[in-house]
Amino acid sequence: MTGTLGVDSIDALIKALAAVGYQAERRLATAVFLSLRLQRPLLLEGEPGVGKTELAKALAKVLDRPLIRLQCYDGMEQREALYEWNHAAQLMHMRAQPEGANPEQLEHEIYQEKYLIRRPLLQALEAPQPGAVLLIDEVDRADAPFEAFLLEYLGEFQVSIPEFGTIKAASAPVTILTSNRTRDLNDAVKRRCLYQWLDYPERERELSIVREQVPQAGEALSQQVATFVARLRSAPFVSAFSRSPGIAESVEWAKALVALNTLMLDPEVVQNTVGILFKQREDIAALEPMLEALLQPEPDSEPSI
Amino acid sequence: MQLGDARSGKMAENIIGFGRTLRRAGLPMDSARIGVGLQAALLVGIEAKADLHAALLATLVCRQQDQVVFDQLFDAYFRNPELTQQLLAQMLPKATQASAKPKRLARAQEALAAVRAALNTQPREEEKIQFDAALSASDRVRLRHADFESLSASEFRLVERLAREIALPWPQLNARRLQSALHGIRLDWRRALRESARHDGELLFLPYLARRLEPLPVLLLIDVSGSMERYARLMLAFLHHSTQRVARSVFAFGNHLTDLNPAFRLTDTDAMLVQANRLINDFAGGTQIGASLAELRRTQSRQLVGRRIVVLLISDGLDTGRPEQLAAELDWLKRNCRSLLWLNPMLRFDQYQPTAHGAKALQKKADGVLAIHNLERLEELARSLVQLVKR
Repeated sequence: MTGTLGVDSIDALIKALAAVGYQAERRLATAVFLSLRLQRPLLLEGEPGVGKTELAKALAKVLDRPLIRLQCYDGMEQREALYEWNHAAQLMHMRAQPEGANPEQLEHEIYQEKYLIRRPLLQALEAPQPGAVLLIDEVDRADAPFEAFLLEYLGEFQVSIPEFGTIKAASAPVTILTSNRTRDLNDAVKRRCLYQWLDYPERERELSIVREQVPQAGEALSQQVATFVARLRSAPFVSAFSRSPGIAESVEWAKALVALNTLMLDPEVVQNTVGILFKQREDIAALEPMLEALLQPEPDSEPSI
Repeated sequence: MQLGDARSGKMAENIIGFGRTLRRAGLPMDSARIGVGLQAALLVGIEAKADLHAALLATLVCRQQDQVVFDQLFDAYFRNPELTQQLLAQMLPKATQASAKPKRLARAQEALAAVRAALNTQPREEEKIQFDAALSASDRVRLRHADFESLSASEFRLVERLAREIALPWPQLNARRLQSALHGIRLDWRRALRESARHDGELLFLPYLARRLEPLPVLLLIDVSGSMERYARLMLAFLHHSTQRVARSVFAFGNHLTDLNPAFRLTDTDAMLVQANRLINDFAGGTQIGASLAELRRTQSRQLVGRRIVVLLISDGLDTGRPEQLAAELDWLKRNCRSLLWLNPMLRFDQYQPTAHGAKALQKKADGVLAIHNLERLEELARSLVQLVKR
């Protein structure tokens, strides 16, 4: 078991994820470790921008497996998720037959491999050893009938195509589901999966993420960015905004500040780049009176240069 | 209680006991899940408490709101089991009240029996009005047009029953899911091929796929302050019954917001009213519409994604909060919903003009203002709702 997965312990997993650039909390790493060992899907819930999709990508790199991604949307049907027959090509094939063709032979030719369009869920089943990492993104946007189908898929990891037979996964894919919690998922799906709620990181982890992703930023700037964003996400400032900036936004902001050759934050440069942190006019307007308080230097620490 | 060695089986008992404690605290738990928790604990090992905590959290908890309860109970259970009982008692005040109730009930019943023996005629008259279906015609007309405030208790109960029978055709939306139809937006290839198989490979007609019609989701915001008591109760009963097929979320507000969704999940309307009564603790208090909407925005804004939701705001507009906050919150609500409809019982006064600042703001921002003060108005509401909501 350990040989195929290559992850022996939680610490090894944390190190491996850090090596590919994903800073994982111990709690999250424990959940991922259990998901790998118990071979159960992992459901990640959290605000947009906390790194749910990134975890799947990092995990695929760590395990050295292909990442297969299924983006869910409202009204998504089994046809778009699992497989579809290329009906137009099949019709043309039928039309091109000479008169008096053998019907069984024709049927055999129509339903052959090359007319089967494989969608992500089927691709995940058919991935060669040692399997794939399957990311089912934003599963809360799909509707209830799709969830019922997904429950069956996640339970069995096999699918039966009437013309072909049953296709069973040689090794079950490592499955990660993400949700923005716009609605509550079906209890049955939740019961099948392990669960983890991802929160925004604290200042220390944010700092190490910014340092890792934006190495050109000086130490002082990274510290200031991390402090600023951590303050934005905590009381009393957080209630003024409809949405707090996520990790992706703070990394983008750091990159933008580096591009503008900023060494220290001041109200003007923050105002100029605020569109990276906030995407709502009301939030930007709410930020302005708070800038003074947000840019106060930390009372106990000295920024090291 | 020490966490024993895994091989000796003590840990299994501990974790099963912990799972049952969580179930008593209200978390959804079944034996399969406890089994998975046990496997996880074995994998992770019990040396590091934090790792065990994380492992059990990932396997036993499936909602973010249960995490706090889990944390408290974990600390208590694996350190001091007696503390667990106290914590459980705190978390479930209803449990202790329920055990006290039977005693009170018996005494109350004895007291009531004595009183009833003395006033023998009273209950029978009440029953007569409630179960007598043979109302005279003028009575019926009077009840249809009578304002809910002016009814007696038994008449109010009867009118509430009648209100539940009003059918409410709900506005519908072209959903993204498709179904077979004769005309539609795309060809249904599967059916085409199946049909052609019946006719030797010839396509005699082309079947199509059309969009399904789905009801628009609804958000009900019900003012439960003092002036709205009767109307709130009646609207709760009416809407609970008539929107059963619709995806709905319900919130009551007075001084703050109360989530009524657990009550509305019950199918029986009377049970729903009882449960709603239990959940709302600022019945007959004041009204702060702006503050309640702000709370809604903070906690529930993710549900308003997609701009499909129809918001029914049932209030008399007598707001005691800040006008700017109310205006800002109403702007946000309007931006994120399809239609905002204000159901106002104050329209029972013929010459009603909104003078309170809350009512003025609502009048300005709402897409429609409807009266709901008697049965006839409710029927009108039912008829006109579909037209009022933009497609």
